[in-house]
Amino acid sequence: MEQAVHLDGITKRFPGVVANDDVDLAVEKGTVHALLGENGAGKTTLMNVLYGLYQPTEGTVNVHGKTQQFDSPRDAIDEGVGMIHQHFMLVDPMTVTENITLGNEPRKWLGLTVDSEQSRKQVRELSERYGFDVDPDARIEDVGVGVQQRVEILKALYRGADVLILDEPTAVLTPQEVEDLFRVLDELTDQGKTIIFITHKLGEAMEAADEITVLREGKNVGTVPADDITREELAEMMVGREVLLDLDRDPAEPGRSILDVEDLVVEDDRGVRAVDGISLEVRAGEVLGIAGVDGNGQSELVEAITGLQMPDEGTITYDDVDRTTDSRRERIEAGLAYIPEDRQERGLVMDFELVENGLLGSQHAADYTSKGRIDWNYTRDHAEEIIEEYDVRPPDANAHAKSLSGGNQQKFVVGREFARDPRLVVASHPTRGVDVGSMEFIHDQINALREAGRAVLLISSNLDEVQSLSDRLAVVYEGEIVDIVDPERVTEEQLGLLMAGQQPDAVPTIAADGEGHR
Amino acid sequence: MTNDSAMDRLSSASGRLFIATAAFLTLAVLAGFGLLAPASTPGQIFWVLASKSTLSSTLRLSVPIVLAALGGIFAEKSGIINIGLEGLLIISAFAAIFGADATGSLWLGFLIGIVASTLLAGVFAVVCIEFRADQIIAGLAVWLIALGLAPFASQVFYGGPNTSNVGTFDTITVPTLADIPFFGALFDASPAVYIMFLAVAASWYVLNRTTFGRWVRAAGENPKALDTAGVDVSRVRYAAVLLSGVLSGMGGAALAINIGQFTGNGPTMVNGKGFIAIVAYLFGNYNPVGALLSTTLFAGLDAVQLRLQTADVIAVPDSLVQTIPFVAVIVVLALVGKTRLPEAAGEHYESGEE
Repeated sequence: MEQAVHLDGITKRFPGVVANDDVDLAVEKGTVHALLGENGAGKTTLMNVLYGLYQPTEGTVNVHGKTQQFDSPRDAIDEGVGMIHQHFMLVDPMTVTENITLGNEPRKWLGLTVDSEQSRKQVRELSERYGFDVDPDARIEDVGVGVQQRVEILKALYRGADVLILDEPTAVLTPQEVEDLFRVLDELTDQGKTIIFITHKLGEAMEAADEITVLREGKNVGTVPADDITREELAEMMVGREVLLDLDRDPAEPGRSILDVEDLVVEDDRGVRAVDGISLEVRAGEVLGIAGVDGNGQSELVEAITGLQMPDEGTITYDDVDRTTDSRRERIEAGLAYIPEDRQERGLVMDFELVENGLLGSQHAADYTSKGRIDWNYTRDHAEEIIEEYDVRPPDANAHAKSLSGGNQQKFVVGREFARDPRLVVASHPTRGVDVGSMEFIHDQINALREAGRAVLLISSNLDEVQSLSDRLAVVYEGEIVDIVDPERVTEEQLGLLMAGQQPDAVPTIAADGEGHR
Repeated sequence: MTNDSAMDRLSSASGRLFIATAAFLTLAVLAGFGLLAPASTPGQIFWVLASKSTLSSTLRLSVPIVLAALGGIFAEKSGIINIGLEGLLIISAFAAIFGADATGSLWLGFLIGIVASTLLAGVFAVVCIEFRADQIIAGLAVWLIALGLAPFASQVFYGGPNTSNVGTFDTITVPTLADIPFFGALFDASPAVYIMFLAVAASWYVLNRTTFGRWVRAAGENPKALDTAGVDVSRVRYAAVLLSGVLSGMGGAALAINIGQFTGNGPTMVNGKGFIAIVAYLFGNYNPVGALLSTTLFAGLDAVQLRLQTADVIAVPDSLVQTIPFVAVIVVLALVGKTRLPEAAGEHYESGEE
């Protein structure tokens, strides 16, 4: 078969770092090729070399059998290489059509004016040819993330791309949108396009790709067909050692109740009852998981429990003390740790150094002050402890949060929150965007908290995660708990139906108060 | 996010609608008095409002503000907040008179005013884009440089802060149409007024219908998107800032040639018009037509205020009457609520940075 892309011995050095070390990559035309590796393995750097954003220190780039020298993305685009970045490059107030044609607008009247009729027609044709369901006149700010991603893909196709590079395309998508994306990828390869997608998720690489190339520490560990390799083998290739994907642990020995939520009602900004009468209890030494499709009240539930939003009805009790109307500070002082779902928005101040970020939430604590001022020596030691214990890279307490990769940001947030020695942990998507090695580590930490008799409320859209970590699993749908089930015995089909608000047969229910627990 | 922006659009739209309705009703009430009881105070105010000379002085006052506002729109839409418009008006006002004096041609003077303003805008652009200076500080510097330089140059060449008089443009009068009551003022005006209307139309077209306008908007909203689409963001921003120099230069030159002289005492003859231009385009929500309408509201109130002072209609101290336009601007801004700034306005952009 014809090779669409052949990278030959690519080495890319940055001052002090070798990001890619003699990497070969061959991708056949009309296939989906996954580039798998942990954060910092050099996947994105390699693709930036192919896309002309970086020039390789050594090695050559061959596209469609010809050796190419790309000095800028423009050159790569001219040779039919398009890239869809992790953070979309779209202009929010502009329409889908305006975004797709930006920089290559069809013109009329001596090239002075944009031919908007022609633009719209071209976009509509393109969108129909690949079976994309996109309204050419919708504004980007009014459409969902899944559609925005399709606009990005259309943008590359509009510029004549044959080879599409997708950087972590599923990171921002819901499970349904991921399904849609994979269908789109199939459609594209059927029409002769070549797809390279960067991911750190094993399951996705195995599901969507024809071939998988694993990178580790800048080197190509191997290229394997997706059909004859197991998850365990892939994980080992990625991490370089054996990884325990399934946790091995003792049954829970729940103690007394730590968190008690009664008949909670929370209205969202539009006055809709996002949480509609939820009651739940988390006891010392257990993990209560919350599963559900995103947007079924999980965020509002978490915000009410952590004190970010006041509930409209119901009570929230920690340790038998009513804390329904307590402030964030009072709740933190009562022993609450919170891993927010959006680390960049709520977990960290991106322009602060890690030293300062490590202080957040503890700024009132006596340990961190000295004579009425912040004790920076203590604060620095604290940040450095987190960095060391949680293997945050680069290990530099003076680094700004925004200079870290997403996985390392998450590790720092998790480390800071767990370092509070909390009695109650609310963890919202604790491993979102985190590589396999770090995920294993964060899971171990959650387990350690459970063993130490802490109460953990875990919210995640990753079913594997909630199933393997929880002792009891509550499924939410439209602001209500549909059922609380035994995560070890429930099947994925049953969970899927419960998440859709249905009531399948023979569900291994556990009573809400924990009676009848194994 | 999505809902917020939709809400913003809605609330600012209803604020604008409210102001338009309130203005219209006030006008209707005054008109009622004017027709039924011309001798009453509101009646007299109406006839002051409805006079041809009020409209013509409104237009005259509007010219520099509208042109500077158009320049400000281009710069800010591209992501460079140009608060140095005041300085650009000052420098072009002086250069136009000096040029007209030196060459003996008002139109050459007009051109020289534009060149001076464009050069200063070019310096501002280099400082902001090339040397990554803070745009607000650089903009203030533009104002302060012009505020010092123009009267100083006048001192050197004319021996005082005021230049000699070079005469004014002849008005262009359209026969018959100029005789229409009130609106006749539109057809009996200085060439600068016609230039202003042309510039508003052209600016609207360029921003909304041309590739350049689209790139300007993209550069101000998400420069990275434009960059990855293969368009040089810096070049687009340079062009936009230089264009703001050209437009402000036309405004300043027209202002000075309208009087025939540059006066450089205190805040100079520009006297805050560049800052009012900023308010005008914010109130007009970065739309050239909106900027024109909000300017005529302000300039109209200013014209009325001037006439009320001389007409002696109401027994209110002049200094209070003088505050009318400014109070109106504050009220209007409070009612409109917030205008949505371009996402990347004020931020430096360097290609290839992660």
